Amino acid sequence: MPLLATLELDWSQWSVPFTHQWWQETTCSVLVGVACSVLGCYVVLRRMALIGDALSHAVLPGVVIAFLITGNTGIGGLFLGALIAGLVTAGLIKLVSSFSRAKDDSAIGIVFTAFFAIGIILISALPRGTHFDLKCFLFGDPLAVGRDDLIMMSIVAPAVIAIVIMLYHPLKLASFDPVVATTMGVSVAGLHYLLMGMLSATVVAGLRTTGVILVVAMVITPASAAYQLCNRLAPMLILSGVFGAVSAAAGMSVAFITNSPTGPAMVLVATILFGLTMLLSPEHGLMFRALKKRRVRRHIEGEDVLKAIFRFSEDGEVCGAEQLAAKTGLAARCVISHLRSLTGERFVTVPRGIIELTAVGRERAVGLVRAHRLWESYLADEAGIDHDAIHDAAERLEHAHELADEVDKKLGHPTRDPHGTVIPEA
Amino acid sequence: MIQQPTAQPIDSRAPNEQTTPAEPAVESVGVGHAVAIAIRGLTVSYGQTPVLRSVSVDMPSGRLIGVVGPNGAGKSTLLKAVLGLITPESGSIQIFSEPLESYRQRIAYVPQTEAVDWDFPVSVMDVVLMGRYGQLGWFGRPKATDRDIAREALTMVGMNDFASRHIRQLSGGQQQRIFLARALCQQADILLLDEPFAGVDAATEQAIFDLIARLTGEGKTLVVVNHDLSVLDRFDYVLLINQQVVAFGPTSDVVNDRNLRRTYGGRLTLLDRADAVLRDNRGDS
Repeated sequence: MPLLATLELDWSQWSVPFTHQWWQETTCSVLVGVACSVLGCYVVLRRMALIGDALSHAVLPGVVIAFLITGNTGIGGLFLGALIAGLVTAGLIKLVSSFSRAKDDSAIGIVFTAFFAIGIILISALPRGTHFDLKCFLFGDPLAVGRDDLIMMSIVAPAVIAIVIMLYHPLKLASFDPVVATTMGVSVAGLHYLLMGMLSATVVAGLRTTGVILVVAMVITPASAAYQLCNRLAPMLILSGVFGAVSAAAGMSVAFITNSPTGPAMVLVATILFGLTMLLSPEHGLMFRALKKRRVRRHIEGEDVLKAIFRFSEDGEVCGAEQLAAKTGLAARCVISHLRSLTGERFVTVPRGIIELTAVGRERAVGLVRAHRLWESYLADEAGIDHDAIHDAAERLEHAHELADEVDKKLGHPTRDPHGTVIPEA
Repeated sequence: MIQQPTAQPIDSRAPNEQTTPAEPAVESVGVGHAVAIAIRGLTVSYGQTPVLRSVSVDMPSGRLIGVVGPNGAGKSTLLKAVLGLITPESGSIQIFSEPLESYRQRIAYVPQTEAVDWDFPVSVMDVVLMGRYGQLGWFGRPKATDRDIAREALTMVGMNDFASRHIRQLSGGQQQRIFLARALCQQADILLLDEPFAGVDAATEQAIFDLIARLTGEGKTLVVVNHDLSVLDRFDYVLLINQQVVAFGPTSDVVNDRNLRRTYGGRLTLLDRADAVLRDNRGDS
């Protein structure tokens, strides 16, 4: 890859850690990361992920025209070009979707590809000998980050954050319920274009560090990761900003150590962060859901063991772990672990090696038996299920013993279950 | 679909405010009530399809007004036009004899609950507080008094215990209640409710009606879009609509078999056909 070759070529710049160049670029990347991911929260919540992608591509003609006019790749000109191109894109998307049958996503696709195509044609039409590197634009070029970029970003990033803080409430309302916002006199369209403008301005700086194709990841990924963890907007904005900064800084360091391109490294760090939140989010994470499922399963098994002990003691039999395992169908090891926790909960005592229920444990077991028989009655009488089938269903339902009283009331306090067995009192 | 209208409508308001049948049944307003919403010749089309045809209604203030009609009758469109959310093809709307723009902050809108994303990262309190944003301006922040107003609104809809919950955890009826609380927060004179009883349990329906009765008692004007005929007798005034006004007036005068049949029985087929012919003649189908 030619880009890697470029990096190889400038190895001297990278061989010294924390060089001036490294600091300059890391600071710039972190600023871009923070601004992108804070704005990204709104992009994600307003379901405009595709618009983020569109803006980053559509700024190309703006940048090229700015280059044509100013004759250099100075950040000021490019910034203005990108800003104008971004806003025109946002406006055209609105226009196409309101005046044609094209739906929003198609309108976005039509407009941004057209802009990108114009940009590429403009580049090919540049006079010979002019230095405008499309690859650098597509994939980012860390070495192109200069002092001007840093200065520009140190203005843009704080400005973006300041605007987001100042307009926090109107932006929240307009994103949550644009219709009611309009009826309250909030300028929803104005806020939309403000967001688009800020996004274009941020993205153009991001082009230097991550390139057109990947910059959208810095917009969407950290915000989505924060969304996994937050139920309020303000914490989500802050966390997203932190994720963006961490992705940029860590990505730069990894790229430096492994001598790989910086943009992709930043994007991958952000993706890893998102993957972690997918696994670990307390509410939505896969791991906690699995843990919760396991907890429920263990709870049910524990109650089954308790009931088995109760059955044995009713029959006047002494039981050990093996008999319990046979009765519950659980592994002996599993039964022993449950006995240990049941003892811990003071439902069961094991004096002289004999398993006995405590008063509390007995009460609990009676409650389970009662729930089981009540549910059997309910299934037979109310749901009209065959007597052969009710036992298995009740085995599951008895663990919903908090509902037993309600079932009892609904059935008019029955004394015997469908098999004729006495239903114990609560 | 059509139910027998009750002969004697039950009025939920205080006795002294009851509309007596002896009152002259003028097309619109009873004696002593100012006109809250004056709609004149309102025509709205989506594309080539007309949704409302030349609707003229004077809605009296301080009353509970039901807007009733079949699906596609233009009920929600009427509300949106009053709110200035859509530009009508022709006609005018005045709020207390003034154009909408000068009255925006005094109209509250309760949209259908499906209109928003209930996974949005906000709490119940956040949503209710949004009712105050109209007063805050661009850079304002809600203050302690705003929070008090929001808390009071939550209490009124019986959702105070839910203030710090995330909105994802609400049932359909609870969602409706917090939307109502948000509208209460706006302290508006006119409330427009779009299908507030859709997907709502009986208890919530009763709670909403109680609240509505209380608000009309305070002199507020409530316009409620509804397609359920079973609650018709709860309204003071009823607007029967199916693209055009079928009838408007005090419930007892307006709700009868003939009018309901006219509202629900078939469209204005001749007019629709005329539109189709005109479209074809112009060549833009």
